Amino acid sequence: MGRTQPLSTALVALVALAVGFLLAGQVKAQLLTPSNQVGRNQALIRSVQDLERTNQADRASIEGLRAEIDALEVQAASQSQTTQGLQNQVADLRAHAGLTPLHGPGVEVDLTSGPPGSDPSGQNRNLITYQDVQDLVNLLFASGAEGVAVSGRRITPLSAFTGSEGEVIVDQGPPLFSPIRIVAVGDRNGMEAALGDPNSVPSLRIREIQFQLTLRVRGAPDETLPAFDGSLEAPHVGPA
Amino acid sequence: MSARPSSRRARRRSRSSAGPVAVWLIALLIALIATVQPRSQAEVERSLVQADPATLAFSIDQLSRSNDALEMQISDLAQRKSKLQSGGSTAADQALQAELDQLRILEGLVPVHGPGVVLVIDASGLTALDLQDALNNLAAGGAEAMAVNDQRVVAGVPIMQTAGGVTVGGTLTPPPWTIVAIGDTNRLAETADAMTQQLRGDRRVRQATYRVESDIVIRAVVTERPFVYGVP
Repeated sequence: MGRTQPLSTALVALVALAVGFLLAGQVKAQLLTPSNQVGRNQALIRSVQDLERTNQADRASIEGLRAEIDALEVQAASQSQTTQGLQNQVADLRAHAGLTPLHGPGVEVDLTSGPPGSDPSGQNRNLITYQDVQDLVNLLFASGAEGVAVSGRRITPLSAFTGSEGEVIVDQGPPLFSPIRIVAVGDRNGMEAALGDPNSVPSLRIREIQFQLTLRVRGAPDETLPAFDGSLEAPHVGPA
Repeated sequence: MSARPSSRRARRRSRSSAGPVAVWLIALLIALIATVQPRSQAEVERSLVQADPATLAFSIDQLSRSNDALEMQISDLAQRKSKLQSGGSTAADQALQAELDQLRILEGLVPVHGPGVVLVIDASGLTALDLQDALNNLAAGGAEAMAVNDQRVVAGVPIMQTAGGVTVGGTLTPPPWTIVAIGDTNRLAETADAMTQQLRGDRRVRQATYRVESDIVIRAVVTERPFVYGVP
């Protein structure tokens, strides 16, 4: 008996040690993969953040250059009637292209994703997509908008929408996420009526009920849209 | 009485063998909890602020392309500015005329030409949303000018679903749809290829094809709408 007690204690200790190593190994193995993923994701996030900073700086440069060009043109226009005439025509076209701020009566549309996990199928249909934004912008133009901006990004004749789950990119970005505010200037009554029609934007209406996305509309007597601060380069097309 | 000492011995034995096991187990549990808990919390916290790698890779691709476009615009504007600074009203007139021509093209006010793609989609049951998606995909794929069945399209031209079918800028535009897009043919062909492949998988679609052309002419124009409500 005296010899079996230390033996059994040693055996228990050995088994506990083995189990401990096994468990620790298992835990380590399980955590290593996410940690590596986190590392990779962090590198990707840093790249996105760097590109976003460049994007922001480039936009500021474009805004500054357009203002400087405008001032130089005003100065030149004060010296020549021909220049003045051309400048007036350009100003009108710039306004229609979204290159100058626009204000007037309009609507604000706030679009918010449904709460996480509200789509039990895992397809993330609770999230706002770029198609939702595209549909709303088209609806606003069709119902009397004269200018539209999506979370501060002015829509131009060349505008396009892209993105992935929950992410909306308008033209040259940067990516926008929920909540997204679409502001339109134009026929306020027409736009409010179109947005209030239960048959408009059917995909959004269904997901409002199923996945608690929210679509809030508010009319306003004076909305202001910013000028477009991106690129309108079109190097492949010329006059016929 | 004799049983007592032996039972005491047995209890002492059991206490002496259970002690180390308990210590081992407690130590093991503490070690595991101490290791796993903070790391799990950290993982959760990180996952809350992170998008998945596919989304991040998509963002990187989009932002890189966008930044290239922005830098091209900066270079163009810088040239325009130095031209204005160097000359008087003649230089200003030239710069303004160039911008006037460019804006008329972008706003769809004049006929245009250039390399591009021609898509033909024949289907029954496609809606205005399908056409909007197709045009948006091409715009995102580098289209600089577009038309559907000889109707010029720029962002803001209404594409509506009516009882009679799809209208583009108020004109009924039934399928087959011939969509022409002018722009970078490499990017447009890639986009058109993906689009037609997807469309061919749609039961409503009878035909979805595209071809690349070196010079496409779009004669249709958009009528400029004056501002009624908005003030620039």
